[in-house]
Amino acid sequence: MIMEKITIPIGPQHPLLKEPLSLRISVSGERVLGGELRLGYVHRGIEKLAVSRNYTQNVHLIERICGICSHVHTTAFCTAVERLLNLEVPARAHYIRALLCELERIHSHLLWAGILSKHIGLDTIFMHTWHDRELVLDIMEELSGGRVSHAVNKIGGVRIDLDIGHAELIKKNISKLHDEVEKLLEIIMHDSTIKARTQGVAIITPEEVKQYGIVGPIARASGVAVDFRSDDPLPPYDRLNFKIITQPEGDAWARTVVRIQEVHESMKLCEQILKVIPDGPVEVRARRSVPTGRVIVRAEAPRGELFYYLRSDGTNQPARLKIRTPSLPVLEILTKKLSEIQVADIPVVLAGVDLCIACADR
Amino acid sequence: MNELTIDKIISDINSLTKGACQLVEYINDELVIEIPSSQLCKTIEFLVQGHESIHLSTITIDIDNSAPDYIHALYHFWENISCSLLVKLDTKNPELDSIISLIPGADFYEREAAEMYGIRFANRESTPALLLPDDYKGAPPMLIKKEK
Amino acid sequence: MILQTLSFILVFPGLLFQVMCGWAFEWLDRKLLARFQRRIGPPWYQPLADWIKLISKEDILTHGSNAFILAALPIISLASVLTAGIYVPVAQFNRFGFEGDLFVILFLLSVPTLAYYLAGIASIGIYSILGGSRSLLQYFSYEVPFLLALSGPAILAESWSIQDIIASQVDMGPFSLFQPLGFLLAIVGLIGKLKRDPLDIPSAKSEIVAGPLTEFSGIKLAFWRLTMNIQAVVGIFLIINLFLSWSFLPSLIISSLIFFVECILLTVILSMASAIFARLRIDQVAGLGWRILVPLASLQLIAVVLMGI
Repeated sequence: MIMEKITIPIGPQHPLLKEPLSLRISVSGERVLGGELRLGYVHRGIEKLAVSRNYTQNVHLIERICGICSHVHTTAFCTAVERLLNLEVPARAHYIRALLCELERIHSHLLWAGILSKHIGLDTIFMHTWHDRELVLDIMEELSGGRVSHAVNKIGGVRIDLDIGHAELIKKNISKLHDEVEKLLEIIMHDSTIKARTQGVAIITPEEVKQYGIVGPIARASGVAVDFRSDDPLPPYDRLNFKIITQPEGDAWARTVVRIQEVHESMKLCEQILKVIPDGPVEVRARRSVPTGRVIVRAEAPRGELFYYLRSDGTNQPARLKIRTPSLPVLEILTKKLSEIQVADIPVVLAGVDLCIACADR
Repeated sequence: MNELTIDKIISDINSLTKGACQLVEYINDELVIEIPSSQLCKTIEFLVQGHESIHLSTITIDIDNSAPDYIHALYHFWENISCSLLVKLDTKNPELDSIISLIPGADFYEREAAEMYGIRFANRESTPALLLPDDYKGAPPMLIKKEK
Repeated sequence: MILQTLSFILVFPGLLFQVMCGWAFEWLDRKLLARFQRRIGPPWYQPLADWIKLISKEDILTHGSNAFILAALPIISLASVLTAGIYVPVAQFNRFGFEGDLFVILFLLSVPTLAYYLAGIASIGIYSILGGSRSLLQYFSYEVPFLLALSGPAILAESWSIQDIIASQVDMGPFSLFQPLGFLLAIVGLIGKLKRDPLDIPSAKSEIVAGPLTEFSGIKLAFWRLTMNIQAVVGIFLIINLFLSWSFLPSLIISSLIFFVECILLTVILSMASAIFARLRIDQVAGLGWRILVPLASLQLIAVVLMGI
């Protein structure tokens, strides 16, 4: 039976999307023919706003680009400014920044795992992953005072410190998290329904990864071992041991496996950081006005390579700030991938690539 | 940093563009090479095809207020080192060759450059709005100067 | 006489009783699901509170849809399931049985499915139409094994009257012992009929928002939800009567207690299935229905026929 072509609107408001995005998907029966993508619903003009604020105000602004990866944005920005200032940030500050980066990675991946399960219909796993995510958010709240928006970074270091009480609490919570998450990850890895729904869906080849500049867990799930924590490490990653997780298949299942194993690695990294963190100050005074120059910083956000380009002209306001977030290349390939699947796989693909539209729109 | 790789890239691009390129700076482990806009496609083709894992991070458009006659277009590449190609465009008539035939992933970056800075890209179909609303009728946002 | 009839229709086993059972079922289901998911779950009066809130909401009509049809469909569905509920025996109370009432009940229970599909088409919105067509496809996939499974007890009792089926179980014992496969298939068929997880593809939230009921609000939605709940309760009563009837016990209290416990047991089974399984795709539903359920149901039916001989 040949059915007429109809257009399913997904967005700007849709149960499938965490943030507004407009996708017009044309389908015929249960086959997807293609789609039209429209971004810009959360565009706030961050790059233009940054030029008329001083560097300290910009740290506050940059944190609000995204809710889930706020810390790594400010880390990248502060690192850029510190490089221009030629500032030697104390090692303890670097370790605290890395600790929060890893905690953020765990929290982002657990959030994503819940969303994927919910959209497949497994509400139970959604409830359990978000329940475990609360442990991570409790640690972050204990450290910084905020569950999602930490405001930890400042130019020259961090504004919080880990005292003995904190370190014990974090260790306790992380080992509790370790046990809970191990069980959960076992379930997800061996659940036949999740495998059945995600295997073979929307394969991204290594060739496409290169052509579209895809980064992060999606690239690693296609076998391309790109991880900016080891390729272009911000301190202290050059002194920490961790594995880069790759999978060769490139389908939605591979992306699931990569993210789940990255949660393992991040938890081990957190424990490592707590063991080797050096004593010392956590910040150093920074000048208000930044000498002329330009700098590029690449950080590894939970979704991939975060790119910051900063040019200063000697004043206390940046001359140009350019941000490229990791979800942008994935959006470019999204409509192409959607035309290879069935309607019922749309949630699997959309939830599986873990888009952060607020990041992409800025 | 691997000095050999840096020198190799500079000499390769030098020979490719027949000496028209110029090393702008190499500090903070970042290489910036200026090339004329006519050599852009050739250079990018060389970089993409000659290097297995090269990766375009983004295209940045920048205007230096101390030299407002030029718009700078920076193509940021990464392959174990950070290498950016700088192209100077005339402010009154900013035109660039599109590279989406070489790197399809440059589509969104070019569209954003076009709508935010008013840059025209040759050899590609229209650049529909990416982040701005469809009915936006005004100057490119990044060129608007705020009157204090 | 009239008063007595009215009380049967409106109080027991009619309107009031079924509505109360429907709400009790919804509460138990939601509470169990919540407990499986490490949540607290709603208090006992939640379904009642939801219903009261819904009927006070604004009733929105989409542009271009037919107001009369959209209003009539939930009313017709509710009326059908309530009528079916009157004829289904509850514990030892089965005053209204007649020859062939099993057919009538099954027909009445199918009216809401057809109305659900029509509601999707009549709502015009894209999500509703897609949900409607999926619900019809799912109906074809599970209804056949469901009917085949329910025919088993009828064949074993050599009658299409539920009263006789219960009477047969008095002699032979509960039919689930003789046809466990049929019992299982009846439960799966019930899950499909009720459009619950894992067979809730017609209202798959991530893909088509709420399926055919997307455009319904206010009192019409309240009626639809009530219909779903009562349909679940009537379906459970039916399965208990056909497969698990212990009405031969002399004490009214004990047999009512057993009936009550069996209802809870079936609700627990339905909730567990909801919690454990992910949603099947529509092609997987069709595959499951025709490639696995129908052959199994046919096998069971053949076994029953041979047993009868």
